[in-house]
Amino acid sequence: MSLWRTFADRLYQRGKMRRMSSAALLLLFIVVTGCAGGSLRHESWPGLIVADGTIYAANLERVQALNAETGKLLWSYPDETDKNIRPFYSTPVLAEDYGDHGLLLIAGYKDGTVYALSLGETRAERPDLLWTFAGAGGQYVGSGVVAEGKFIIGNGDGNVYALDLADGGQVWTFSTKDRVWATPVVVEDTVYIASLDHYLYAVDIATGAEKWKLELGGAISATPVVVNGALWVGNFTSKLYEIDLATQQVAWTFEASDWMWATPIAKGSILYFADVSGHVYALNTATHAPVWDAPAVIDDIVHGRPALSANGSLLFVAGYEKGVIHAFDAETGSEMNWGVVTRNPGRLPGDLVTDESRLYAMPILVSERIQALDQEGGKILWTYPPVEAAK
Amino acid sequence: MWDTIIIRPIINLLLLFYKFLGHETIVAVALLTLLMRLLVTPLMLKQQKSTRQQQELHPKLIELQKKYKDDPQKLMEEQRKLGINPMGGCLPLLIQLPLMIGLYQGIMRVLASTPLQLLALPRDIYRWIPSFSSLIPLKSRFLWLDLALPDSLFILPLLVVVTSWFYQKLITPPAMDPQAEAMNKQMMLMMPLMTGFFSATYASGLAIYFLITNLIGILQYYLFRQYYTYPTPPASDKKPPAQKRPQASTK
Repeated sequence: MSLWRTFADRLYQRGKMRRMSSAALLLLFIVVTGCAGGSLRHESWPGLIVADGTIYAANLERVQALNAETGKLLWSYPDETDKNIRPFYSTPVLAEDYGDHGLLLIAGYKDGTVYALSLGETRAERPDLLWTFAGAGGQYVGSGVVAEGKFIIGNGDGNVYALDLADGGQVWTFSTKDRVWATPVVVEDTVYIASLDHYLYAVDIATGAEKWKLELGGAISATPVVVNGALWVGNFTSKLYEIDLATQQVAWTFEASDWMWATPIAKGSILYFADVSGHVYALNTATHAPVWDAPAVIDDIVHGRPALSANGSLLFVAGYEKGVIHAFDAETGSEMNWGVVTRNPGRLPGDLVTDESRLYAMPILVSERIQALDQEGGKILWTYPPVEAAK
Repeated sequence: MWDTIIIRPIINLLLLFYKFLGHETIVAVALLTLLMRLLVTPLMLKQQKSTRQQQELHPKLIELQKKYKDDPQKLMEEQRKLGINPMGGCLPLLIQLPLMIGLYQGIMRVLASTPLQLLALPRDIYRWIPSFSSLIPLKSRFLWLDLALPDSLFILPLLVVVTSWFYQKLITPPAMDPQAEAMNKQMMLMMPLMTGFFSATYASGLAIYFLITNLIGILQYYLFRQYYTYPTPPASDKKPPAQKRPQASTK
């Protein structure tokens, strides 16, 4: 204490105390507020799809196509010379039946633009830009859906846009009162839109006219899932709702432990889902009975959609903050001894994706942004960029 | 620890105000900022009193420094005899600072301008208070503003710069020497520019916080201006002459 007192006396004697406290205030403010700058700051989560042995990944600065088996980069859009940071988070959508060899629909987060890329004859061929749509006023967070010649996607400006796949023309717009982060779901001639404004909307796919809406008491960011003709959707009030599409009413409600953010995944009539505090559930949607004796629990936030292994025996769940992927026995909910814990796994906010043999993840805050793991043991098969290149 | 003691109470208080004040984010932010400013007012006045005391004793200090320039130990003893506490002005500031930074962080977290920020919010909400989760996300529209995004018209950043400059001008004590004068000038320029830059770059909810903080600070100045009245510095100590200040009555 006397040492501090002497130090303070000396500072004061030199007339520096006031100036130092002002400088400290400025410095502390900058440090605490995290305004010191740096590289691209993550604001959302990246997503990928896999189709016909090719991965299409929204990899921040670019959307990239990779060989799913080897992780070899096939092409990037835009190319390396384009320094405009959009960035890309929204999971790409493949419209295989449109264009000469299929279209890839991607959406920029900050530039609020949808890009339609015309794919080449082979997946390795670099695509051409077919059209763009820059009519939205906010950010694209969620992904879109292709149906009846339209690409339908929600935006941070609260609108859902239906775009003509041929030329990107705006067919209709549907407005909600808050941001739309969930991917719209199409059942027959109806688009179901979940919004942060607490409502689930049913909209006519041809005209964009509202058919009905349902207030669910909390914000919805998870994409609804259709199981046995009913729509299942979770929200921020920790509830998972079964919506009867015929009566347009809530048929049944499941109370989880925390916010439902992760989109559920279905296998037959079994629905697997997780809440943000790491409780993982398996529910028989026909009987409303839990499949497991008790929910599985991981000590982490769960945000991304879980994934099932190709044979359906394992359920993979990503912990967001610790960046660890957990594997559970899909029948019993027991956690398996699976995976390799790396020194710096980063964070895993996005959805997990599986194909016949591999599990794909897109961690953030690490150099190796796309990773393929063996579904059997969790061994890392490849990363993009490769570990050596990333270092 | 920081989150538990500072941030979470602030976030939940903000949600409480939001819930009972017509779901208007801007009103909740304004009320919370006012409450926090009132909470730290006794500390602020103590700090101001200490600053004024030091200003008053400045001529005596100069004398002592000349007299004991070769005996720092004796100089320190004499300073203590005068009742000068070097920490007197700093300690209240250090106590206020976490509260004000916590308020800023709480507002930013609850506005959750990005999806990842919103993802971090559930853990900050008290679950034992019913229906708080259903308030999320807060209504972010106000006039032309989306409080979760920067003001595209730059009206708020401009207002923040102007009010910051005026507030700084009001509260900055007259400099007693050229070095302090230069420092004062720097602060008068830097603080408004810095807050203006943050206001233009980050969510406009933050700019609202800066603006309300400045306005309350200005109001407090006029309410407690006897604490901001300083002795005129001796002409020999500094050049140019002391900065002009708004007239204030001494009690």
